Amino acid sequence: MNIKKTNWPITILLCIGALTIIFPLYLTFVIAVKTPVEMAQSIWAFPKVFHFENFIKAIEMTNFFNAFKNSAIVTIFSVVLTVLTNSMVAYAIARNMHLRFFKFLYYYFVSALFIPFPILMLPLVKQMSSWGLDNVVGLIFLYVVFGLAFNVFLYVGYIKSIPKELEEAAIMDGASTWKIFWKVIFPLLSPMNATIAILTCLKAWNDFLLPLIILVDKDDATLPLVQYVFQSEFSANYNLAFASYLMALLPMIIVYLFAQKWIIGGLTRGAVK
Amino acid sequence: MAKKHTFYVMTIPAMVLFFLFQTYPTIQGIFYSFTNWKGYGDWEFVGLDNFLRFFRDDRTQHAYSFTFGYSILSTILVNVISLFVALGLNAKIKFQKTLRAIYFLPNILSVLIIGFIFGFIFSHVIPELGASLGIGLLEKNILGNPNLAWIGIVLVAVWQAVAFNTILYLAGLQTVPMELYEAARIDGASRWIEFWKITFPLIAPFFTINVVVAMREFLMAFDHIVALTNGGPGTSTETISLLIYRGAFQDGDFAYQSANAVLYLIAIVLISVLQIYFLQKREVEL
Amino acid sequence: MFNNKKFLSILLAAVFAVLVLAGCNSEVGNASNDSANNEETDSSSNEGEVVELELFSTKTENPETYQRLVDKFEAENPNIKVEVVSQPDSLTVLKTRLTKNDLPDIIATGGNPTFGELGRAGVLKDFTDSPLVDDINEGFLYQVKDIVSYDEENVYGIPYAGNAVGVLYNKAKFKELGLEIPTTWDEFIEVADKIEAAGEVPFYHTWKDAWTITVPWNDLVINIAGDDFAQSKTEGEATFIDRYSEVADKMLTLRDYSHNDVFGKSYADGNQAFANGESVMYLQGNFAVPAIKEFNPDIELGMFTLPALNDADENMFVASVDVLFTMPKDAEHPEETMKFIEFMYEEENATQYMEEQFAISAMNNVTYIDPIMEPLKDKLAEGKIRQAPTHYYPAGFPAAQSIQEFLIDGDKDAFLKKMDKDWDAAVAN
Repeated sequence: MNIKKTNWPITILLCIGALTIIFPLYLTFVIAVKTPVEMAQSIWAFPKVFHFENFIKAIEMTNFFNAFKNSAIVTIFSVVLTVLTNSMVAYAIARNMHLRFFKFLYYYFVSALFIPFPILMLPLVKQMSSWGLDNVVGLIFLYVVFGLAFNVFLYVGYIKSIPKELEEAAIMDGASTWKIFWKVIFPLLSPMNATIAILTCLKAWNDFLLPLIILVDKDDATLPLVQYVFQSEFSANYNLAFASYLMALLPMIIVYLFAQKWIIGGLTRGAVK
Repeated sequence: MAKKHTFYVMTIPAMVLFFLFQTYPTIQGIFYSFTNWKGYGDWEFVGLDNFLRFFRDDRTQHAYSFTFGYSILSTILVNVISLFVALGLNAKIKFQKTLRAIYFLPNILSVLIIGFIFGFIFSHVIPELGASLGIGLLEKNILGNPNLAWIGIVLVAVWQAVAFNTILYLAGLQTVPMELYEAARIDGASRWIEFWKITFPLIAPFFTINVVVAMREFLMAFDHIVALTNGGPGTSTETISLLIYRGAFQDGDFAYQSANAVLYLIAIVLISVLQIYFLQKREVEL
Repeated sequence: MFNNKKFLSILLAAVFAVLVLAGCNSEVGNASNDSANNEETDSSSNEGEVVELELFSTKTENPETYQRLVDKFEAENPNIKVEVVSQPDSLTVLKTRLTKNDLPDIIATGGNPTFGELGRAGVLKDFTDSPLVDDINEGFLYQVKDIVSYDEENVYGIPYAGNAVGVLYNKAKFKELGLEIPTTWDEFIEVADKIEAAGEVPFYHTWKDAWTITVPWNDLVINIAGDDFAQSKTEGEATFIDRYSEVADKMLTLRDYSHNDVFGKSYADGNQAFANGESVMYLQGNFAVPAIKEFNPDIELGMFTLPALNDADENMFVASVDVLFTMPKDAEHPEETMKFIEFMYEEENATQYMEEQFAISAMNNVTYIDPIMEPLKDKLAEGKIRQAPTHYYPAGFPAAQSIQEFLIDGDKDAFLKKMDKDWDAAVAN
């Protein structure tokens, strides 16, 4: 067939649509670098001078780096532990679906997809505090657990598509199940690991409800929680608030700018499989 | 034999964690729904009282109808918009990679903070714009109007959710072999027919996933409601999750809200089963 | 392809690691700053172990004042550290922490239903015999007992500061428009009419935040609905339909003397707008004054009683316990906690608090009152003050939301009926 020409009407429509995505972020930026007086003149005009002192003040007021550290710790550990534990159990399930125990386990996990969080929210809050887990560590456990249902569903589907011949060859060579998992299966799972790592990362980094109800100590607060506190205490000074919001959004945006292709690719691959 | 043993061991970490932090609290939640526990102190069994109270409680009933209405509408909007965006991104266009990256951007941002930003847009930017353009309708914050506040809620939800669903549809579109289109074009099929006869049937599984996933997310809505209206004005935008959170922690209605959550569970299971049943049936027919 | 992915995942991990390191470094930086600040205090008390106390405040307006007093306290008591904690939805958090058996060391809250519930739950210390209680204003003391239960004898929290709820007004604008402080409802409405005629906005309502509606509501209710309403209502002898009809009418009247986006503006917006002269009056409590002054330090403010009735002498205003201090019965560090509470009630420190927060002192020996509240002084001395009636509403009765709905749709009959029904339901459960 002929080489198609660029479809300009669609290009233009999509560009206009993209503006609705860019505009709120643009607004966040310009408000964050203005003073209240400049904002009174015009909300959306691009400022002549950047008032970066808003950021310095917001960093002080929210103890930004502490919250950043908490969010980073929660996210990194949740991702690593999720990928390790979930892929392992999924492998065991996928290769033993013919046994009643594993089949039961599969449905047991996946059925949690239908359980709304509020039903366990109240007892969970009590339980976490009485077990001394109303902190960052507890939060990590919860992200590992609450992702399990969906992750096992994805992993099992993916592992089933991996031919057993590879493992059989390894068994012939006398490799143990552990070794097969680590040396053969886990590397083959890389695309799915990436998908699940990205999903877990986004969930743990951006979540608000769990930190809100689980965390007690102010020093444990994650970035979204800190924004919530900040918003209600100093809501009148929008410039400071927006500087604070921008800083909370920025780490993820930076990671996204660098790894955008990989992130979208990872999620797409997860969906197709 | 040793091999089987290893497989059992492999399930232990996930199984233990899952039981302790998922199943155990769920069982407790269901248990307390039959009591009058306040979250502390003494309690006794009250049978089905908490469940019967649901039918006398306008506020809770309203939360259900709002949550379902909001979820259905948002699911439809998100799927229609993201399907169009995905078709557009899949066409022969300029800046394809950049546009794709922009459209996916909202998915990586915190819903709460997005809610705060849009809250400001609704309360200051749009009214100012309305005032300077002389459009009376826009001069007021729509979040302050119980008949319109839902629009703001839906808008923000859709703004964010379109990102993820677009990516899934895009993945689906890439599985459609080009030759089919070429064949159709030789037969002189219009774009519209092409879409309904070729594209849509082939990406139907993605449609099912998207509808189920989007709906589930919307039914749990909490973060952006807190940021935008906190359930107001009055209780007009109170979702079930927000009501349970507030009722249990603010008003000490622990047991009643547990019962509410059990009903919510039943509703979600029913909806999910129906969705999957009908959508998969459709897939087969297509 | 595979290697490429691996490379990217390493890159991603590296980016994260760098970010985390950046975070940790600055953490370390902060920590060293902190310790530098504390060095002088620490060095003087090397022998004693440092006790850390948490001061949990349910007010968002006063953390800076607390912090200043805490700094002073810490300087005097080097072996005690007090951390001021104030967060949004703090009453909910307090309840959650009651659920978790994790009450803070020092609780600074108001005479609200949550305090009442804590009192009834039997988790708070009984201060009845504390010498601190002897100096407390009887009216405020009555309130903290009453909020726990009708016939409560024990004091589970010591009143500290009261708030006054009425009408804040811009003195310069009043002078400019030639207005006098109104003492009856008719005069009040006349003033509002004159302001509108002059092309200004009489009141800046911020009714997106439902709680701000209860401010004028309470002033109307104490004058119109009767002191015994809550009790009578619960006993089935009074209804909203009988007692609140006039309150509802007057709320609707007040609604219409405002800007055009009454339900779209929040409390924070209102403080800023009133500070900038966008309205002449502002139906708020004295607790809003610091926030208003922050936006416009030069504003000349005054506050008068919202005249709900046409009999000038009869009008009362709402003055509730805004801050009380209490602690758990099973406190971890009872002595240190008590030491801090006693410190707060010392005359000098209490006066500093009242000055900074524009508050009314609950202590008889601390007589300071801010000039802004001068017009309230007579009523205060006559005892024409009442606690906010919403404090007597049962838990789980969504008053603020229902009033907000009513003010939007204006259907009085349906509203009063709903209030009656919701109250009965809340009491029954």
